[in-house]
Amino acid sequence: MAQEFIQWLSHPGLNHFLIISGILFSFGIFAVLTRRNAILVLMGIELILNAANINFIAFSRYGTGTLDGQVIAIFVIILAAAEAAIALAIVLNIYQNFNTVNVDELNQLRD
Amino acid sequence: MVEQLLQSLSRFLPETTLTVALCSTVVVSLFLGRKSQATLFVALAGLVLATWFSFDQMGVSETIFSGMVAVDPFSVFFKLLVGLSAILILLFSLYSSEVQSTLHRAGEYSALILAMALGMFLMAGASNLLMMVLAIELTSLSSYILAGYTREASDSSEASLKYIIYGAVSTGVMLYGISILYGLTGATDFYGINRALTEESVNSVALLVSIIMILVGFGYKISAVPFHFWTPDVYEGAPITITAFLSVASKAAGFALMMRFFKVSFIDANAVGLPTGVWTSLQGFEWNKIVAILSVLTMTLGNLVAVWQNNLKRLLAYSSIAHAGYMLMGVVVLSDKGLAAVLIYFMVYLFMNLGAFYVVMLVANKTGSEDIDSYKGLGHRSPLVSVAMVIFFISLAGLPPTAGFIGKLFLFAALLDATWIWLAVVGALNSVVSLYYYVRVVRNMFLRDPEGNAEPILFSTPQLAIVMLLLLPTLFFGLFYSPMVELANASVMMFGIR
Amino acid sequence: MELLGIGILTWITFLPIIGMVAVLIVPKENQGAVKWLPLVITGVQVVLAVIIFFNFNRGMAGINTLEGMQFVEKGTWIDIKGVPWFGRIVVEYFMGVDGLSVSMVLLTALISFIAVIASWNIEKSLKGYMAMLLLLDTGMMGVFVALDFFLFYVFWEVMLLPMYFLIGVWGGPRREYAAIKFFLYTLLGSVLMLLAMIALYFSVTVLDPSTGEKIYTFNMLAMMDPANFEPGSLLAGVGTQWRYIAYVALFIGFAIKVPIFPFHTWLPDAHVEAPTAISVILAGVLLKMGTYGILRISYPIFPDAANYFVVPLAILALINIVYGALCAMAQTDLKKLIAYSSVSHMGVVLLGMAAMNTQGMVGAVFQMFNHGTITAMLFLIVGVIYDRAHTRDIDSFGGLAITMPKYTGIMTVAFFAALGLPGLSGFISEAFSFLGAFQTHRVITILSTAGIVLTAAYMLWALQRMFLGQPNEKWAGLPDINGRELSALVPLAIIVIVLGVYPGLMIDVLTSSLNHLVEVVKTGAPVALVP
Repeated sequence: MAQEFIQWLSHPGLNHFLIISGILFSFGIFAVLTRRNAILVLMGIELILNAANINFIAFSRYGTGTLDGQVIAIFVIILAAAEAAIALAIVLNIYQNFNTVNVDELNQLRD
Repeated sequence: MVEQLLQSLSRFLPETTLTVALCSTVVVSLFLGRKSQATLFVALAGLVLATWFSFDQMGVSETIFSGMVAVDPFSVFFKLLVGLSAILILLFSLYSSEVQSTLHRAGEYSALILAMALGMFLMAGASNLLMMVLAIELTSLSSYILAGYTREASDSSEASLKYIIYGAVSTGVMLYGISILYGLTGATDFYGINRALTEESVNSVALLVSIIMILVGFGYKISAVPFHFWTPDVYEGAPITITAFLSVASKAAGFALMMRFFKVSFIDANAVGLPTGVWTSLQGFEWNKIVAILSVLTMTLGNLVAVWQNNLKRLLAYSSIAHAGYMLMGVVVLSDKGLAAVLIYFMVYLFMNLGAFYVVMLVANKTGSEDIDSYKGLGHRSPLVSVAMVIFFISLAGLPPTAGFIGKLFLFAALLDATWIWLAVVGALNSVVSLYYYVRVVRNMFLRDPEGNAEPILFSTPQLAIVMLLLLPTLFFGLFYSPMVELANASVMMFGIR
Repeated sequence: MELLGIGILTWITFLPIIGMVAVLIVPKENQGAVKWLPLVITGVQVVLAVIIFFNFNRGMAGINTLEGMQFVEKGTWIDIKGVPWFGRIVVEYFMGVDGLSVSMVLLTALISFIAVIASWNIEKSLKGYMAMLLLLDTGMMGVFVALDFFLFYVFWEVMLLPMYFLIGVWGGPRREYAAIKFFLYTLLGSVLMLLAMIALYFSVTVLDPSTGEKIYTFNMLAMMDPANFEPGSLLAGVGTQWRYIAYVALFIGFAIKVPIFPFHTWLPDAHVEAPTAISVILAGVLLKMGTYGILRISYPIFPDAANYFVVPLAILALINIVYGALCAMAQTDLKKLIAYSSVSHMGVVLLGMAAMNTQGMVGAVFQMFNHGTITAMLFLIVGVIYDRAHTRDIDSFGGLAITMPKYTGIMTVAFFAALGLPGLSGFISEAFSFLGAFQTHRVITILSTAGIVLTAAYMLWALQRMFLGQPNEKWAGLPDINGRELSALVPLAIIVIVLGVYPGLMIDVLTSSLNHLVEVVKTGAPVALVP
C-alpha cells in the first residue's frame, strides 16, 4: 500500500497537480473565511489564484496540448499583482482611517 | 496575419478611442494642473466619440483578434448602454458636490471612469475565457478605487475594502472554475467550448462544479444573492455618481458577459426543427434551473431587506439587487424572447435608476443627507424634483404608464411564453413588495410635513435639464415602446448563433 | 360621433387630463380658477356622457362583437413588425361602449362632477388635489371605455397613484395607513391580472386582413372568440386547468377592487380616512370597476370557468351581503357604517351576476349604477355632518331633525333608497338581482335576503339614533345644509327617485347587451355546473 503510494508519487501526472491545486484552493478559501486580518485574507486570495494557475498549466501540459493555458497563467500572475497592489493601497488607506486592518471592526456601514 | 490584425483594429475603434481618451485625461491633468474640470470634459468627449463609433458598428457581426472579442449587435447594444450611462455619470459629476469638492483629483476620477468603461466595453464583446477574465478585472480594479474615491471619508474606504475582498475572492473562484472548464474542453474561446461539449461528453459533475464556480464570478458582478454582500455597503459608501454607475453599467456588462457565455457555450447547435430564437441546452444540462433559483433568491431578498432600510442609497442598493433578480428571470429563458426582455429592461433601467440616483444626489448636495427622513416634506420644498422622483419610483416598481412597466411586461411575457409560470408569479408578487418601500419615500416627500427647515430648495436650470433628460424617456417609452423593442430585437443577435 | 375630428370617447376620457395640465399651469394664488376649471371640465364631461347616453342605440348588444359596439374608436397604438421571436406586436387604441359600459360612463361623469362640488372646501394644496382628482377621472373613464386589454390595464393602474395621494395627503388621521393598504391591495390584484393578461396575449391570435399573417393581440373582443385561441397554447381549449387558474387570477384582481369578502379589509380604512369627495368616488365608481371587469372580461373570455365557479361566486355574494350588513350594524362611526353597507350592497351585485340569467345581470348592473348614486349621497351626507360637528359618532347625535330639517329630509331619501324602499331606485335593482338569482341558486338567495332585513335594521337604527329622540344640547347650534351641499345632493336624489319610478330609462339600455352576455356565457362552453 505504502509502496504503491510512493510509486504513484514518483510518477507525477495530471492528477498530482490537480490534487495540489485543489488543496491550495481549499486553503485559500479557508483563509478567506476564517482570517480577520485584511492582509491574511489577501494572502488567501493569492492562494486561490495560484491554485487556478496550477490547473491551467497542468491542463495545458497534460490535457489539451495547447499553450493557451500557460498564456492564461501568465496573465493571471500579472492580474494578481495588480490586484494585490490596489488591495494593499486600500488597506493602507483603511489603516490610516481606522487604525486597524481587522475586517470585523469595519462596521460603519450597517443596516 | 497583419492584414487580419489591421482589420481587427478597425473594428476596435471604440475601445481604442477610450484608451486614447484615458491617456489624454492623464496628460491633460498633468498640464492643466489641478482644480479644473477640464479632464471631466476630455473624458466626456472621449466617451461621446466611443459611443458614436459603437453606434457606427451596428449591423456588423464578426469576431476580431482571433476570436478574442466579438463585434456583433449584442455587444454593440451593451456598448451603447455603457457609453450612454458613462456619459450621464460624467454629467452628474459636474454637479456632484462629492466630486466637485475633490476637484484636485478630477483627473484620476475621469481616467478611472474611462478605464471602467473600457473594461465594460470589452466585457460586452468578450468571447474568450481569458478576455472575459481580463475585462472583468479591468472593470473591477478601476471600480475598487473609485468606490474609495473620497479617500478622506472613512465610509468610502471601508466600502472599497469590502468591495475588493469580495471581488477578489469571487474572481478567484471564477478563475478556478474557468481552469476546470478549460481542462474539460481544452478550449478557451466560447465557440471552442461549445464545439468540445457538442462533440464529446464530459464529466458532468466536473462541468457542474466549474459552471457553479463561474456563476460565482458573474453573480458577484451582477450582485445576485448570495454573492451580494458587498453591494449595500459599497453603494452606501461610494460617491453617489459611482454608485449609480455601478448599479447600471457594471451590472449591464456583467449580464452581457453572462448571457453570451451561457448562450454561446451551451447552445445545442444540432437541435433541429426548432423555430428561430428558441434555444436548447446541450446534453440536457439544466443550468437554467440554478439561475432560476438564484433569481428567486435575489429578488426576494433584495426586496424584503429594502423594506427595512432608512438610508436611501442603501435602499436603492437593495432595490438594484432586486432588479438584478428580475433580469435574471430573462436569463433563465435565454431564448431570443428572454434575451430581448433583458435588453429592454436594461434600457428602461438605465433611465429610471440613474434618474433616481441623480435626484438622490441633487437632494444630498443641498440637504447633506441621504436619510429617508430628510426627504420629509420635500414635495413642498421642491415639487418638480419630487414629482420626477415619484415617477422614477413608479417606474422602478413597474407600474404603467411608465417604461418600467414595459420592462416587466416583456420579462413576464418571456417567462409565460416559456411556461416558467411559477417564476413569473414570484416575480409579480415581488413587484408588489417593492412598491411598499418605494412608496415609503414618496410618503415622506408628500404625506409628511418638513421637519425643521422648510425653505424651498432650488436647483439650477442645467440640473433640472438633466432630470428632464432622464424623466422624459421614462414616460415616453412607457407609452410608445416600439423603438425600444425594435432596438432590442435587432440586438439579440450574437455572432455565431443562428 | 366626432368633435373636432376626435372621437367623443377620446374627448370624454382625456378631457380631464387637459384640465389637469391647465390646473397645474394656473398660478397658485388664483384659487377661484383652480376650483372652477375642474368644475367646468367635469361639467362638460357630464354633458358628453349625457349625449352618449341619449344617442346610444338601445337595440345593439355589443359585448363580443365589434358591430355591436358604439362610438367605436379603433386605431393602432403600437405596431412592431418583423419581430421573429415575438410575432408581430400590435396594441390597439380601441375604445367603444355597449349597454354594459354606457351606464358606467354616465355614472363616472356624474360622480366626478359631484366630487368636484364636494371638494369646494379643500384648503390644503388645492392645486395638487384638483390635478390628482382629474387624473383619477381619466383613469376611471378609460377603464370603462377601453376594449383593448392593454389599454384597459394602463387605465386601471393609472388610477392607483392619484388615489394614493388623495387618501394619503388629504385624508383623515390614519390616512397613511389607509392609503398604503389600498395601494398594495390593489397592486397585488393587478399583477395577477397582468399575468393573466399576458397568458391571454400568447394564446390568442388574429389574422391580419391585409397580409394574412398571424398577430398576437390584446383585443378583448378577439379574446372572447374561442376560435381565435391558438391550438396548443396555454389557455386554449375548454375547461382546462390553466383556464381556471387564469380565471381565478383575474377574479382576484377584480375581487380586490369590489371588494369581495376575504379581500375587503382595505375598504373600511380607505373609505373612513378619505376626504368626502374621494369616498364618494371610491364608493361610487371604483368599486364598480371590479364587477365591471368581471362582466366585461372574465365572463365572456372564460365562459367555461365562469360557469364552473358560479356557485362559489354566489356563496361569496352571500357572505358579502350578510357579513357586510352585520359589520355595518356593529359600527358607531357613521362613515364606517356606510363603508360596510357598500360591502353588503356590492354583494347584491355579485349575486345578480352569479344568477347567469338576464334578470339577474340586469339587476346587477342596475344595482351598480344605483349603488353608485346612493352611496355617493350617503358619503356626501356624512361629509356634511362631519364638517359641522367634527365627529361621526352616531351615538353622540340625537334629535337632529329639529335643528337640521332639510338635511334630515335628504338623508331620509338616501337611507330609504339604500335599504331598498319601493319607489326608489335601490329597490328595483335589488329585486331584479334577487329574482334572477332565485332561479339559479335558491338556497343561497333565500339566505341572502337576511341581508335586506339587516340592512333595513342598521339603516333605520342609525336614522333613529341621529335624528329622532332627545336633541343633544351640544349640537343645538348646527347650521342646516347649505346651497352648495344641496347642489351636490339634489341631482343624485332626483336620479334616485326618477329611476325608482321609471326604471325603464336605464334598464332599456342594459337589456340587449346583458341578454347577449348571458347568451355568450351560457353557450360559450358546455361545461357542467358544480353540483
